[in-house]
Amino acid sequence: MKRFEELFAPHMDAAYNLARWLTGNDSAARDVVQESALRAFRFLHRFADGNAKAWFLTIVRNESYTWLKASASYHWVAIGDELPEDDAALSHGQSPELLAIHTENAALIQQALRALPPMFREVIVLKELEEMPYKDIALVADIPIGTVMSRLARARAMLKLELLKLHDHE
Amino acid sequence: MNELDCTACQTLVHGYLDKELDTAMTAKVAAHLAECAECARLLDEARLLTVSVKRHAPYYTAPASLTASVFAPVAPRNSALKRWRKWFAPGFSAAALALAMVLYVATPGSEQPLMDEAVSSHVRSLMGEHLNDVVSSDRHTVKPWFTGKLDFSPPVFDYSAQGFPLLGGRLDYLQHQATAALAYGRAKHIINVFVLPTTEADEPPKTRSIRGFNVVSWQANHMRFVLVSDVEKAELETLGQLLRNGA
Repeated sequence: MKRFEELFAPHMDAAYNLARWLTGNDSAARDVVQESALRAFRFLHRFADGNAKAWFLTIVRNESYTWLKASASYHWVAIGDELPEDDAALSHGQSPELLAIHTENAALIQQALRALPPMFREVIVLKELEEMPYKDIALVADIPIGTVMSRLARARAMLKLELLKLHDHE
Repeated sequence: MNELDCTACQTLVHGYLDKELDTAMTAKVAAHLAECAECARLLDEARLLTVSVKRHAPYYTAPASLTASVFAPVAPRNSALKRWRKWFAPGFSAAALALAMVLYVATPGSEQPLMDEAVSSHVRSLMGEHLNDVVSSDRHTVKPWFTGKLDFSPPVFDYSAQGFPLLGGRLDYLQHQATAALAYGRAKHIINVFVLPTTEADEPPKTRSIRGFNVVSWQANHMRFVLVSDVEKAELETLGQLLRNGA
């Protein structure tokens, strides 16, 4: 119990933050973190040494997806990692775009980020909010390390598009 | 050395921005950026975007009650009865005292309004931020908190092991009396347990449904227990059983 607490208590915020962003609501995030902690506790013997945060967040991420799949409101959207060359999101920006993405409006950013599919939302959360290196993001998101950069590129491009959309609506 | 094209660079600027490229690749990207205004602009945009997200996207910190319940010490089951007695003994004397003091308040036969009031209080507690005055899954924190605020001593136990973690407690006011309200979690649901003194005789548990909520109530040891929640009837009855058994 003591080792368990020492290892994971420092990462409760990270765990809750990820679950909260992935599930989109507080009670689900609490459930996900509770369940993840239970699993971490049960499989503690499998965690040798190394990155407790990445290990814990991997469990949290999996539990979040389990919740997402089970929740009726969620529709699984598969989007490839390839970068389509004619994608508007990746075309080079004009100055109004700079205005939109440099927004000080927290609500807009939150809304735009929530609009991203989970697999893209999670890399933004892990990179910008947790400031994790690519190798840890690869562990948590269960993708090859080489894919992290392209997924982030795509996620940021999509986030920019969402912000532009919201900006136009204002 | 082969030159980078813009397509490759559109992805690589992100690694460049995040300082995740090796030295050779960093030099290549830097060389391309020096010559290609469009890729340079893409980098600027990505940088602005990450700054905006870092500054303004909410970071959700773990609620204290969640951390507390995750790291709650596992209570040994065999000492349950002893602990129950230890905690409940003062309850008897306090309840007896309360009995003398509030004799004139308690009017029998007014059960339905109480249940109604309890349901309303339950709903109110979920609407605002005011579920708990004292947020803790530790009964040794919650129970003493009530001391001095109530003229009786409600039994406080954590049933995390049985799937009903104690979330905290607050003061409420039902039937013109100060009432202890304990909040328990059940999966995604909240259960409010109201405990108030009564002069009436013990009564076995009764389950009813009021405005879509399940309500379980009973009277024991001059205390009236009212459980309100939207969880299944059977689950609410299970918590009722646990409360009656002590721990």
